[in-house]
Amino acid sequence: MSVDTLSVIDRHNVTVGGRPDGPVVLFAHGFGCDQNMWHRVVPFFEDRFRVVSFDHMGSGQSDLAFYEPGRYSTLDGYVADLLAVCEALELRDVVLVAHSVAAMMAIKAAVANPETFRRLILVAPSASYINDPSESYVGGFTQEDIHELLESLDSNYFAWAAALAPIVMGNPGAPELTGELEASFCRTNPDTARNFARVTFLSDIRADLKDVSVPALILQCSEDLLAPPEVGRYLHDQLAGSTLVGLKATGHVPQASAPEETARAILQYLQSDPS
Amino acid sequence: MTGETDYERLYQQAPCGYLLTDDTWTITAVNDTFLTWTGYRSSDVLGMPLPQLLPVGDRLLHATNSVPRMQLAGSVSEVSLEIIDATGKRKAALLTAVSAPGPDGGTEIRVIIFSAHERRKHELELVAARRRAEESEARSLRAEAGLQHLALHDSLTGLPNRAGLASILTRELAESPSGKEVAVLFVDLDHFKAVNDSLGHNAGDELLTIVAQRLSSAVRSTGTVARLSGDEFVVVEHVSTLSDATALAERLLETVNRSLVIEGLEIICSASIGIALTDSDGTDGTQLLRHADIAMYRAKARGRNIWDVHDPSQGDPAANRMRLLGELRHGIRTGQLRVHYQPRVDIATNVINGVEALVRWEHPTRGLLQPIDFIDLAEESGLIRALGAWVLEEAVQQGRLWNPGTPGCAPVGVAVNLSTRQLLDPHLVDTVATTLTRHDFDPHLLTLEITETALMESPAVALKVLTTLKAMGVGLAIDDFGTGYASLTYLKDFPIDELKIDRSFVSGLGSNDGDSAIVSSCIQLAHAVGIRAVAEGVETDHQRSTLLTLGCDLAQGYHYSKPLTAESVTRWIADQDDTSNPSSPVVLQPLPEDAVDALISDLDTAMENHEVMEGSSPVPTL
Repeated sequence: MSVDTLSVIDRHNVTVGGRPDGPVVLFAHGFGCDQNMWHRVVPFFEDRFRVVSFDHMGSGQSDLAFYEPGRYSTLDGYVADLLAVCEALELRDVVLVAHSVAAMMAIKAAVANPETFRRLILVAPSASYINDPSESYVGGFTQEDIHELLESLDSNYFAWAAALAPIVMGNPGAPELTGELEASFCRTNPDTARNFARVTFLSDIRADLKDVSVPALILQCSEDLLAPPEVGRYLHDQLAGSTLVGLKATGHVPQASAPEETARAILQYLQSDPS
Repeated sequence: MTGETDYERLYQQAPCGYLLTDDTWTITAVNDTFLTWTGYRSSDVLGMPLPQLLPVGDRLLHATNSVPRMQLAGSVSEVSLEIIDATGKRKAALLTAVSAPGPDGGTEIRVIIFSAHERRKHELELVAARRRAEESEARSLRAEAGLQHLALHDSLTGLPNRAGLASILTRELAESPSGKEVAVLFVDLDHFKAVNDSLGHNAGDELLTIVAQRLSSAVRSTGTVARLSGDEFVVVEHVSTLSDATALAERLLETVNRSLVIEGLEIICSASIGIALTDSDGTDGTQLLRHADIAMYRAKARGRNIWDVHDPSQGDPAANRMRLLGELRHGIRTGQLRVHYQPRVDIATNVINGVEALVRWEHPTRGLLQPIDFIDLAEESGLIRALGAWVLEEAVQQGRLWNPGTPGCAPVGVAVNLSTRQLLDPHLVDTVATTLTRHDFDPHLLTLEITETALMESPAVALKVLTTLKAMGVGLAIDDFGTGYASLTYLKDFPIDELKIDRSFVSGLGSNDGDSAIVSSCIQLAHAVGIRAVAEGVETDHQRSTLLTLGCDLAQGYHYSKPLTAESVTRWIADQDDTSNPSSPVVLQPLPEDAVDALISDLDTAMENHEVMEGSSPVPTL
């Protein structure tokens, strides 16, 4: 492997598992967590697929020495990273499973390099979180809501910055996780999270949708605060050749709350795929 | 509260809120402390998703961070958030929760909520202070980077300046890849000063900015474009061979030559480029730059808008110039200079009207030198004053011989060129007056020719000097008209007798519509303000007949005669006297002001359509 390949792998804490000769499934996490977000769905893919996941710059165990606020203040920096991971590992015919804001990156990456991707799996996606009354677009939020989110991030700043939060004394529900591991799970860097929150909630990729040629599966959750049903229908309308599947799972993170249902929906979609 | 167990008391009246929810965070139980603290009744909150009690920002963070953490790690600790109480007020709180198997076999979430008003306030203040400190640090870093940038860059074009170039050159020379050489191309715009002088500094700045952009886009991303000063640019690039460098020079000339519009005027720029390459001698940046500069001067001397490559066998032109200057001084003192005279002829009658005095230098080793070989040097060094006075003396003395005052003998006028420095010389009027007196020469037979550029150098001084000369009876001509980019309206303000149309326009007569239009407009304009039009550089009979049709008054050029020695002119006059009759002078009447303005506007239009930066140089030709 070249130095570049190693550095990309290192920078983004890329992990590779599953069948080395299997088709590639690449997991891209969304705002608020890291690649651990996929922890519960990955086992459903490991027997047949080569499973690759990574942390976006600024999240998880990515190397913050490479974090440039300017580069990561728009989706483009993240999209370039995603494509760099594909290139470094020479990934072809990738099934890109992308959650939340990563679904926006997936769409931009598919427009930029359609030949890299076989399918896009968009988990709880949105085209824009901000309402646009002039286009009758319902994203779910206003600019003021996003300012409130930034304040919430600030009020959690010190707890996150120094991992000062105490560890709960008893946790019978998660016996497999203990101590430090539990504390670091989806722990967010408060400085980069602020930037990432802005990118997540203020990006608008509606204009890119018409240029997507890679077929996409849209997984729409029930009662998802971040992606109301209108958004799923909107994406389905705008993305040529897309499939919309509603999940029973509630909330915004079905891969954590309903891993099996989520994995089955993806596998079924891939199986029914004639190509 | 009788019958209450310790456990119930601990649960209901603990010093914090206790809640139980199902795995979707829907509240299934709540203690008294929480109800008292928020003002809700238990029926208000039971069955309600806990996030509904949070403001939208906390709700978003809960959905994106706390929910997956709960599901993946089974707990969250001391999440800072706000609870909206029964009155709608926000209460700061810390939330800790674990998920655990519930009594019915499902998952339940056990939640503790602490009031944390002061802590939240304190932490938000700390974050704000931290942000301010970071911002101020970023500002000072930016300021420092800005200063560094300012020191190394030119503020007009944003390109590296001389200091910036020096550090880039040092780096490039040190890091030059093997098999590659560093090429330095010294790019100097031709006649930039004329643009600055005639269109103003803003236009000049705009021109430089455009040229900077063009050069930058013509250079690969590995190359550098810097601006040294004024109209001097330097391009640095890694090349494999000299032909790479010359190809780059061609490309640069091409991009500079593309026409551009400044203040509504179309301008064609040209440049002279000197190329120098690193060689095995371990050339340093300063030497390389110096070599490119030398090559650039040679390109300029060879006629501009071309490139030249540094040739180590050629001497340093600065040293050459110093030597030439010494020789010229010596030459003036020891009588190596000559004056030749080119006849000017009445186009209608073919009769000689006068001569233009032109200086030549009979150099002991280099042969007969033309003004272009040494006049710039004389002008720059100030030697032009002595040289000019000598030419005037010679020409007037000779003119007196051709005009003996005998009746029946046609008068022969003498024209002498004045340079910028001469025009601004406070002794000029005295010099002219004493020369005329000394030789008892009729001032009306002397014409002084001044270029537009010289006039515009200091128009107020020029007006004063010309008015005095005019009052003495001396005739005045604008030389090389059309090449100096001066505003045409000054024609009306200066006491001029003749307009000499530049040879570059005359040579295009018949073959270039634009030139024909300009010549025609110049002639009409001259006549409209009541002065003569003189065509320079007439070389063919076709040009002569066209000028005749256009009504031009006088002409000079090889078609009639090349510049001749005084003796040859004397013979030429004698021959002419035998074949033709003297013409009666035409008296020109000026047109009304508005007619003149209309013609000026016509000529402006014709000029705009012409490539103004091309054509002959506005260098004075003594």
